Amino acid sequence: MPFWKKENPILGRINGCLRLVISVQLLVFSLHQTQKINMENFTNETIDTTNLPKYEEVAFTSLHPNYKKVVLLNVSVFSVIAIIGFSALVFFNKGEFTQTNILTLGSALLVVIALVFFFSLLSFRKKGFAFRNHDVLYRSGIIATSTMVIPYNRIQHVALHEGLVSRYFGLAKIEIFTAGGHSSDIEIPGIAKAQAEDIKQLLMGKIQKQL
Amino acid sequence: MEMNFNAPQRQSAVGIVVMFFDTLRQYIKAFFPLLIIWIVNFNKVNKWYLILGALAVVLVVALIAFLKYKNFTFYIDDENEEFIINEGVFNKTITTIQLDKIQQVNINQSLLQRIIGVYELEVDTAGGSNKEGKIKAVSHPLALSLKSRLLENEKKTKTVIASEASQETEQIITDKPFISIGFLTLLKVGITSNYVKSFSLLLIFFFTASDYINKITGHDVLNDGDFDNYVTKGAVLSTLLLFVLFLFGVVLVINLFRIVVRYFDYKITKQKGSLLLSFGLINTKSTILKPEKVQITTVSRNYFQKKMNILEMKIKQATSGEKTKHNAAIDIPGCNTLEKDEILKLLFQQVPQKGYMMKPNFRKLVFSIFLTIVLPLLGFFIVANNVDELNEFAYITPYYVVFVGLILYFGYRNYRLFISDDFIIKQSGAWDISDEIIRKEKIQAITTSQLFWHKGADIGYLTLHTAGGNIGFQLGNYTKIKQYVNLWLYEIETSDSNWM
Repeated sequence: MPFWKKENPILGRINGCLRLVISVQLLVFSLHQTQKINMENFTNETIDTTNLPKYEEVAFTSLHPNYKKVVLLNVSVFSVIAIIGFSALVFFNKGEFTQTNILTLGSALLVVIALVFFFSLLSFRKKGFAFRNHDVLYRSGIIATSTMVIPYNRIQHVALHEGLVSRYFGLAKIEIFTAGGHSSDIEIPGIAKAQAEDIKQLLMGKIQKQL
Repeated sequence: MEMNFNAPQRQSAVGIVVMFFDTLRQYIKAFFPLLIIWIVNFNKVNKWYLILGALAVVLVVALIAFLKYKNFTFYIDDENEEFIINEGVFNKTITTIQLDKIQQVNINQSLLQRIIGVYELEVDTAGGSNKEGKIKAVSHPLALSLKSRLLENEKKTKTVIASEASQETEQIITDKPFISIGFLTLLKVGITSNYVKSFSLLLIFFFTASDYINKITGHDVLNDGDFDNYVTKGAVLSTLLLFVLFLFGVVLVINLFRIVVRYFDYKITKQKGSLLLSFGLINTKSTILKPEKVQITTVSRNYFQKKMNILEMKIKQATSGEKTKHNAAIDIPGCNTLEKDEILKLLFQQVPQKGYMMKPNFRKLVFSIFLTIVLPLLGFFIVANNVDELNEFAYITPYYVVFVGLILYFGYRNYRLFISDDFIIKQSGAWDISDEIIRKEKIQAITTSQLFWHKGADIGYLTLHTAGGNIGFQLGNYTKIKQYVNLWLYEIETSDSNWM
């Protein structure tokens, strides 16, 4: 018997509360779940490929505004460490550097930090996710914008991850795993904890339905 | 032959020998530096101590081997449908494998095992790489029987699925191989393939060897001052040419040797709807290939192979552990077009058609020329401007440009994506042209991406993720890509197709 078919008390309970906890928006999704093909009214019409739902026209939900703070905090910590490191380097090798050297290197460091801040904010704005009836979409990337789509019937399992900083801001990260290895997993950061729980349960429900 | 596996049982008694050599090898590996010191100081140490020490080691290893044998038991728990292996001398390990998670059971034989007349049984599972079972020494009938018992259970659960019914009808086992690759074909494969692989192996060997000699003799073989003296500068080119030719010859011979040893007596047998492959001169390997688990099938051949009507196939099955990823590919080194079609038919029930052809944008060629010709040459000339000695090598640059240019051009020309109703085929390669074939329903996830300056040109990237690796296509018509992604998503999401 495969592990997913085994009786799992936690899963069972989650399924039990599913209907209660789920938000209205998500309820709409779950009502539209896959309809099994019924043999009696089986039809086989030609698919109009131009009228298929278009993944590229989906409206993406952006990440929680609080996540911007998380990103900024992370980048700030990085910058502080970089600046401290640089200062220490200059301080302990006083003889090696001339005044102009220090100035150019210091300003270069500041430019790099400014760029990191700029791109982090930009990348925050570019990230977005969407849950459709049959698949989950995640968009990210500044220079190359990439969209990843995972159909629900290919999801192996779903995990919820709370980082230290994220937890402070009440955020969680949803990790969606397929059988395709690391490159085909989706990680959606910056979702409010309660919503993340809902999404996880929604996905769990979808997976259970498949099997 | 039916055997009972419900009670815990040990391996063949002769297996102790295998354990012995295995343990010995481990110990030698671990104490290698110590051994070296011993050997170097051979004359200084009292020989009696040495001999006694060696004897003691052998005894201890023998004892450990015996205990390993004694403590190693395996059985099938019918109630829980599990295959259980107990092992370990000091640290006991119990490996439990659920029968329906077993992906593959391989029977292998190394040289030592062949001499003793035992076989090794390897159980591959779907979950993680660390949960694999390995039995080092069992007799052939027992190995076969255990294998069929382990796999039979899977059949039982599978028969519930209607699609499997067709397989049941062809349960007659045909022991006659339907494809066997002869010695001649292997020779052909040996001289026509894997140049790059052998070449890099040779280079690695060459450098480690010279490094070694360096350390021992204190002479730098590569940059020895004498070198310049007896090779006049005019002769550098011809020496280089000779050297390359010599290397090429060595590569050919090594390749030939490697392929013959590895794939000697290659047989493919049909068995209950799956393929049974066995091959090897020194270590015999046998693997089962299940059509439903196949993810990516690669068919490749180069110009010579085309003339000789041989091609190579590589079949990737579903894996979960990152570590086992490259081991999971199964090679079929040489078969002709007809045999290829036979195998493809067995895997896919039909020979994949190519269908719609997607070409990459010309920017792909331009960009790769920039990356591998323009940039390195620019770097070279900038450095050569400052370092005079390098200028002498400037005459190589035209050859480089022509050579790399040709590779890039043919690589670009062969770079195609074919999309048909059931299959997606990616063709690529400059010299070895390979077709990677996947069935649409094996797709796990799809990524499309586009650089922001490619928006106007309407080109972009497509990556199809499967359980056996990714297939990517660069700089194709983005509108077309999006259209196909929508279609694939629709088809995947509306069917309950089995991807594994």
